[in-house]
Amino acid sequence: MKILLCGSATFCLAFLIHLIVWKIQMPRRQTRVLKQIFVYNLLVCLFIIWCLFKFTIKPGIFEPLNFFEYIHISLFYLSLTLVYIVTYSGMEVDSPSLVMTMKIAAAGTEGLSKEEFDESLPDDILVKPRVRDLVRDEMATLDGEKHRITTKGVILARLFIFYRRLLGITLKGG
Amino acid sequence: MFFCLLQILIPIVCFTANVLFQVVSYRVMPKIGLLKTEFSGFVFGIFGLIIMETITFLIFPISKISFFSVLISNLIIYLSLSYCYFHFVNLAVTARRIRLLRDLHDSKDGMTMDEILLQYNSRDMVENRIERLVNSGQVIYKNKRYYIGRSAMLWSAKIILIMKQLILGKKSEFD
Repeated sequence: MKILLCGSATFCLAFLIHLIVWKIQMPRRQTRVLKQIFVYNLLVCLFIIWCLFKFTIKPGIFEPLNFFEYIHISLFYLSLTLVYIVTYSGMEVDSPSLVMTMKIAAAGTEGLSKEEFDESLPDDILVKPRVRDLVRDEMATLDGEKHRITTKGVILARLFIFYRRLLGITLKGG
Repeated sequence: MFFCLLQILIPIVCFTANVLFQVVSYRVMPKIGLLKTEFSGFVFGIFGLIIMETITFLIFPISKISFFSVLISNLIIYLSLSYCYFHFVNLAVTARRIRLLRDLHDSKDGMTMDEILLQYNSRDMVENRIERLVNSGQVIYKNKRYYIGRSAMLWSAKIILIMKQLILGKKSEFD
């Protein structure tokens, strides 16, 4: 029960801090700040839990946590954090598939033609902002008119190239 | 102490089994599609987790409450990691930024915006996506027009929209 309670409470606290920070001032690099909030919150909370068991809670009421239980709490917490960050990155930018689904739904029984899609979803909405994101996140640099991949971008690109080869995916995708 | 170490390892081992099962099954039977192999890997891992947890309950002297709380914790860890893996696979196949990164990686001297758009533009993107939506039954194509089919994607879109409004305070990144 200790893993579930401590892990959930620590996660809820981080989520609350994130909401407060976002209400005060939305960061420019949102995912980076989100990661920082969740990681620092874990470290602080683990220290508080350790202090509580060490100095406050009387022995016999609760068994103190051992080293592996702290690791288990961290694993529980980091799993939830990953879920949230993955979901958040889907919220941060508009997913074309979700936008398209909403557009078709809005068209109702009339339906929507492909031409109408192309008109409503131009490069300025679908491609150019994502290229700018790569530059903002330091995965590419803009050298004059040329976009060049950085070391950080190469590492990420190679990870996905490796995974696609592992699965044998040949379609360009996207 | 050994019990605690085991409880950390169980969800990690089952998640690894999930990924391996998915990769191998897709390599062996690519025709069944990514989504089905992801689901089969997930089921394989979750069965492994329940069996392993039951065995540890039978071996170690722990109460039923402790057993269930550890089981729920490890199920949450396993579900969370599986959810992230599901998204990782989607990123490898559909993500725009990853596709752009791969294109930039393959170019020897970088690319201008025009060169990028020549290889990958909104027309290709809409085509790829509408094809996937039609193939999965989320969208129906009839008389050269598109209509909503199954409602799963629409519900996902609505949930994401609500979350956007609650957390980001806007409906779209362009608001």
